[in-house]
Amino acid sequence: MPDLSINIAGIEMKNPLTVGSGTYGHHGNFNQFFPVETMGVLVPKTVRPIEWPGNPPRRVIEVPSGLHSSVGIPSISWEQFEAVDAPRLRDLPVPVIQSVIGRTEVEYAEVVARASALNAFQGLELNLSCPNLKQGGLDFGYDPDAAYKLVKRARQETDLPLVAKLAPDYSSLVSVAQAIEAAGADAVALVNAPRAMCIDIETLKPMIGNGVGALSGPAIKPMAVYMVWTLYRSISLPIFGMGGVANYKDVIEFMAAGAAAVAFGTVSYVDPMALPRALVDLETWLVEKGIDDVKSLIGAAHGSDFQRPAPLKEMKHAV
Amino acid sequence: MEQINASVVSNEPLTGEYWLLQVDAPSISAALEPGQFVNIRVSGEHGPFLRRPFSVYRVSSDRTRLQVAYKLVGEGCRLMRDTLRPGTTCDLIGPLGTGYDLPAEARTIALVGRGIGIAALPTLADLAASRGITSHAFLSARTRDNIVGTEIFSHHGGMVFLHSDDQPGGVTMVTDHLLAEASKIDFDAIYVCGSNRLIRAADTLARKLNIPAQSAMEQHMACGFGDCHGCVIEVNLDPAGEKKAYREVCHYGPVFNTWEVVNA
Repeated sequence: MPDLSINIAGIEMKNPLTVGSGTYGHHGNFNQFFPVETMGVLVPKTVRPIEWPGNPPRRVIEVPSGLHSSVGIPSISWEQFEAVDAPRLRDLPVPVIQSVIGRTEVEYAEVVARASALNAFQGLELNLSCPNLKQGGLDFGYDPDAAYKLVKRARQETDLPLVAKLAPDYSSLVSVAQAIEAAGADAVALVNAPRAMCIDIETLKPMIGNGVGALSGPAIKPMAVYMVWTLYRSISLPIFGMGGVANYKDVIEFMAAGAAAVAFGTVSYVDPMALPRALVDLETWLVEKGIDDVKSLIGAAHGSDFQRPAPLKEMKHAV
Repeated sequence: MEQINASVVSNEPLTGEYWLLQVDAPSISAALEPGQFVNIRVSGEHGPFLRRPFSVYRVSSDRTRLQVAYKLVGEGCRLMRDTLRPGTTCDLIGPLGTGYDLPAEARTIALVGRGIGIAALPTLADLAASRGITSHAFLSARTRDNIVGTEIFSHHGGMVFLHSDDQPGGVTMVTDHLLAEASKIDFDAIYVCGSNRLIRAADTLARKLNIPAQSAMEQHMACGFGDCHGCVIEVNLDPAGEKKAYREVCHYGPVFNTWEVVNA
């Protein structure tokens, strides 16, 4: 059988499949359709240091091949997360990368330190790209200087591997990713859902309760593959690729573009068995192709002669 | 709760703009409680992308088959009509959500439905009948032929009051019927689905009579099983409506107490 294992920043994954934060399970309930340990690593919904009800309804709108949404990361209190969710996550038979977000640099540092101290996680994902919050997230994900300072600060708060989740913005993607690498992040995850809008032609007003929302699902996949491909050529960090992934073919495509691991997101709302089915199909495909190690797919689209850039140690001002 | 590919038994016109889909789904049918729903995926090459949530209209007496009544609006329902033929399979997830609470001591209940909302009530009428509880139905729709399920409610022996908006003037509304009957009958609970006006009327009456009232609610959904947090509505956390919060219709509902949803 082919070797499916992947190691990203010291996190041992038995296969390269994972889930996009906030798209799988809720409040510690992770086995509704298949055992959580089917995947290589679990990324649960983003937590924040404050309780928050989330954005007003309407929160979801179906669009062609995708979902327009603005949920706004509804959050239980940190005390409740620590008392109820964290022990459940700690006991899961799968490595966990906990996604975190703050409104300010100080709040990010605080949530990183607190999450790290729970001794429940194998890594932390810094959500620098939530499209649906008024403060935090994209304030840092679009600005290389802010991203650098934030990751540098977070780096001081934890020894856990840090994964920075990035926004799909052409103008800042490379410079932000280089800043994050220089600041000491261990990996990047991309793409988060791009900002989007639907307008009701009767009222001439935005349809989603928050006005502005996000676009996710298969509609964004080619854009996401391009951005993974771009970062593979721009930084040395391992990449968690995502954005519209629905089946094993998409997994192969993202890995060929440069992803070391691939996340299933919005598709799980529609087809909750997509991930375990893709795992079986991926293994079958590798056997049929005579490929004995899934790692050989990483970056294959760049050609065998291509060399990734050397690690960045200093902030590089690309803008 | 599980995802299955259920064999389609039949898929035929019901009445008015409604069609009735029947599938073989023993595990889901056996576990289903009145008011719970199923989430159906019908998809052509390019969509629709999301599943479609439906209340379960009826479960067969041997609890192996379930029926979904659907109105022919939108691409998803037209695909349901055109592609779910006997011999094909239907991808569905269920049973989902929290259903109606039928108190053990209840003897007489009122079922109040409008339009497609009526489709959420026959399973409750069936459960009530099995416990010897009398249910009286108050049903309305825009047109007479769009009132579904009248024969199910009358079969159980309770009274059935009908109103359609296309009736000639001066005809009594179902809420007037409900108030009139409530002055003669001791209702132990009221169950509603279909319009905010009916929910308000049921809630007002229930508070006056000091009996429970519940309503099945709708909201646009993505997953239907609690993961996406997309289908929230604002609810009252206390009967006075002083504290409010968002609650997922797929998880906390679709059935809520009427005091939770009135003026929330």
